[in-house]
Amino acid sequence: MKRRKAMSAETLFKIFIMVVLVVFAITIIVPVGWAFLASIKENSEFYGNPWAFPEGFHYQNFIDAFNKANMGAYFMNSVIVTALGLAILLVVALPAAYVLARYRFRGRKILNVAFMAGLFINVNYIVVPIFLMLVDANTLVGDTIFTNNLFVVGLIYASTALPFTIYLLSGYFATLPKDYEEAAYVDGSSYFRTMVQIIFPMAKPSIITVILFNFLSFWNEYIISMTLLTRDSVKTLPVGLMNLMKAQNAAAQYGQMYAGLVIVMLPTLILYILVQKKLTQGMTVGGIKG
Amino acid sequence: MKKVLALVLAALLSAGFLSGCTTEGDAGDGDQKLWVAALESAYGSEVWKEIAAAFEKANEGVTVELTVDKNLEDVISPQMKSGEYPDVIHLAVGRTAALTETMTKENAIRDLSDMLELTVPGEDVKVKDKIVPGFLDTLVTNPYSDGKTYLAPMFYGPCGLFYNAGLFKEKGWEVPATWDEMWELGDKAKAEGIALFTYPTTGYFDAFFYALLNETGGPDFFNRAMQYEEGIWDTDEANQAFNIVAKLATYTESTTVANANDANFQKNQQLILDNKALFMPNGTWVVEEMKDAPRADGFEWGFTALPAVTEGGDRYSYTFFEQIWSPKKAANPELADKFMAYLYSDEAAAIFAKYGAIQPIEGVSDMLEGDNKLFYSIYDTGAKAAMGAFATTDPVEGVSMKDALFGTVDSIVSGQKTVEQWKEAVNQANDALRAALK
Amino acid sequence: MDKQKGRGRFAFLCVAPATILFIIFMVIPTLQVFWYSLFKWGGYSDEGKTFVGLQNFEKLLTDAKFLKSFQNTVLLIVIVTIVTMFFALVFAGILTREKIKGQNFFRVIFYIPNILSVVVIAAIFNAIYDPSQGLLNSILGLFGSLKENPILWLGDRNTVVFSIAGAMVWQAIGYYMVMYMASMSAVPESLYESASLEGSGRIHQFIHITIPLIWTNIRTTLTFFIISSINLSFLFVKAMTSGGPDGASEVFLSYMYQQAYTNSSYGYGMAIGVIVFVFSFALAGIVNAVTKREPLEY
Repeated sequence: MKRRKAMSAETLFKIFIMVVLVVFAITIIVPVGWAFLASIKENSEFYGNPWAFPEGFHYQNFIDAFNKANMGAYFMNSVIVTALGLAILLVVALPAAYVLARYRFRGRKILNVAFMAGLFINVNYIVVPIFLMLVDANTLVGDTIFTNNLFVVGLIYASTALPFTIYLLSGYFATLPKDYEEAAYVDGSSYFRTMVQIIFPMAKPSIITVILFNFLSFWNEYIISMTLLTRDSVKTLPVGLMNLMKAQNAAAQYGQMYAGLVIVMLPTLILYILVQKKLTQGMTVGGIKG
Repeated sequence: MKKVLALVLAALLSAGFLSGCTTEGDAGDGDQKLWVAALESAYGSEVWKEIAAAFEKANEGVTVELTVDKNLEDVISPQMKSGEYPDVIHLAVGRTAALTETMTKENAIRDLSDMLELTVPGEDVKVKDKIVPGFLDTLVTNPYSDGKTYLAPMFYGPCGLFYNAGLFKEKGWEVPATWDEMWELGDKAKAEGIALFTYPTTGYFDAFFYALLNETGGPDFFNRAMQYEEGIWDTDEANQAFNIVAKLATYTESTTVANANDANFQKNQQLILDNKALFMPNGTWVVEEMKDAPRADGFEWGFTALPAVTEGGDRYSYTFFEQIWSPKKAANPELADKFMAYLYSDEAAAIFAKYGAIQPIEGVSDMLEGDNKLFYSIYDTGAKAAMGAFATTDPVEGVSMKDALFGTVDSIVSGQKTVEQWKEAVNQANDALRAALK
Repeated sequence: MDKQKGRGRFAFLCVAPATILFIIFMVIPTLQVFWYSLFKWGGYSDEGKTFVGLQNFEKLLTDAKFLKSFQNTVLLIVIVTIVTMFFALVFAGILTREKIKGQNFFRVIFYIPNILSVVVIAAIFNAIYDPSQGLLNSILGLFGSLKENPILWLGDRNTVVFSIAGAMVWQAIGYYMVMYMASMSAVPESLYESASLEGSGRIHQFIHITIPLIWTNIRTTLTFFIISSINLSFLFVKAMTSGGPDGASEVFLSYMYQQAYTNSSYGYGMAIGVIVFVFSFALAGIVNAVTKREPLEY
């Protein structure tokens, strides 16, 4: 009798938990599905009830987004900038994070504090000084190669992502036992080989997390690219999207806008689904022990 | 594996450099290049392409490089900061980004007196004589009140109250000619579950207030207010204006404030189309803006000037116009002048008119079609035209008359600020800005 | 000795590129922001660029709109942190400790808001908060009539900041949940078993075992909360209310933009930037110091 009562309390608790989880899941699935459905609505459908189902499959929105709004070319630019940014970031941040976490040398403390402080620097206010610096660089070489340059923007993306990336990675490197390196050194492995062949593979979950985080931020970034990439031939996807958004005094192209949103959103969703399993492992931030 | 990575990286790097190098335009020797930056407003971007082509055709060896964008400020201001200035910029004052205002405050706009003396290409009239009188002596075109024109008037349109004429016919209601009639109508409509008033965002109160101040105090009073005269907002005329808006606030559709922002303002405009509200302040562009929106049966755009303050008093409609100007640091001032003069030719005006963009030049009324006939006829049917805007000042940190005078309307409507608080905010801004007058 | 030298060189080569990029693209621009904040300058021509010392900061102290944006930012940091952290911890606890069907499914789904662009989230929440057709008022309408006086989630000076907080919390829960899950899964099962034997319940275990053991992780996320709330609140405000109604939802960075660009006061805007930097840094330092506990071993 007593046992049965306990069982039912247990079941009640489980049901309650389940309801809470399901409700929260619904609040996510419904709106996201809504955004997808909105992308196949006709322009006139956007003025009525926002929750109505589309009246048909108006895929013309996507064709317009690619043709009229030039989203295809912007997409390629975004791919290039994001890939460049990620490549530079990994090449630069991985060794730095490793050394900062596991080597003792003069200036280590200062560097750690400096990168830590870098977390608090906000791109929104440094973007104009960066821009003016590039303009000065242009005048110096007598050419305009520094502005409207996808490589430079990739470099800046990587630089602004350094504090967070180094923070996350060195947190992980610090948790690894010293034994691995010591064994490698005994075998005569060089510092570089030890780092690349022994340590980095062990940090795979963290590296994947870093890639996902930074992919999301580079892919969706528009303040830097709006300022530094003004020529139409180098514009990125989010900036193209901004121009599809309604502006006052102008007819809104809602259908195209939501199609654009879906075009921006899809790659992030796909990447996330591909790497989500590794994500939990890689997010051990700040360690579990002190 | 490493090799592949290296190759990919190398390819990406070179792609980056290439894209940096290939973007340079390559104009041949002897050719002239003119950089025109234009706002993509209600008339779309095609109109500028057509104008550019026509100008190139008329001027052998000239290439027009166009930048047309809905967020033009975001595109050209970084470039201007880097020292690359468009030769000609078409924009409007009163926009959120306030680029034109910034450039005026910085004394960075070129005096257009020479351009106005030019003869319109292909015609035998000077530019200044072709522009409708009155448009060249406003605080907008002559921001420093020094008798010189810095911003030339371009597309214009009357602003006023828009409504569903079909609904008025159906109900047998008269469009109110005085504010008293307005309140009566408000009560009648309320009984039928229709609100009297809504507004897209508080930004739309600029035209509304300018017209209203002309009604309560006359043009001279209006101009003194625009020059931040001391104590002007404590006068009876100003009080009357404040009280009319405060009363109107009580008649405002209840969801308006929640949607009165850049993301949702069209929901407020939709209220008119759905017969949920009777009037909204707006400009002629709204017709094009809402062309895809569903509407009540028998909907028909109606347009009227503000009701008069007293029986038989003056009624005003603010004339909104976009402007064209040239930065002081632009590379080709002469060609820019030539281009601007061309814009006032009958040929260019016909292209603009095709897209519904109307310029204030002699003879333009013959080009009007459709709804525009009604809208532009407002001044023929008794309404007076109000023009101008607040005078330019040096920037004052943290102070904006637009926020104080127009922005506060949201809080008046929601009942979260009193008229006294509103007046105090306006007075403070008035004092701070007067001290910074140019 | 030789080995020591090689080690040093290796460390230097690894750290140098990151340090150089960091200095060029972050440190120098930040110093410039500090420098510009001492000027009265419109941002375009050098004509009229005057050195005013700390005047911009003095003016900020008496600028009611800036103080409002300050207040809103602090309010958002506090609400978003507390609410998000509560739900994230509870969900993480449930998903790691309880045996529930579809655990994986929930973990994957809950993270999705974090990968959406703010524009999408803002569009979604604009539709949710819509006074007449919005989801929220429709649901509340089931319990009583809101026809006459709909709740203006984004139109009321008193509710607008909370409405924005709602969207931010929704977006952030999954992110922090996954972070907490990562550290919770490392807590040894044996601790819970012995606690169960002593008869302590779920909630008791959660408070006395789980929370203390992941405390360092929680502290770290507090810093993230501060940084991301400042940044995201700007993006959300921009996309949802443009600072309205009547400036009631203005936050740090939106006000900085308004001043630096719209009001032609670039120097003043940069002074706000300086305050944002100093404030977030100091706040994180204080929070870090206050939450310091002796690390627990297990």
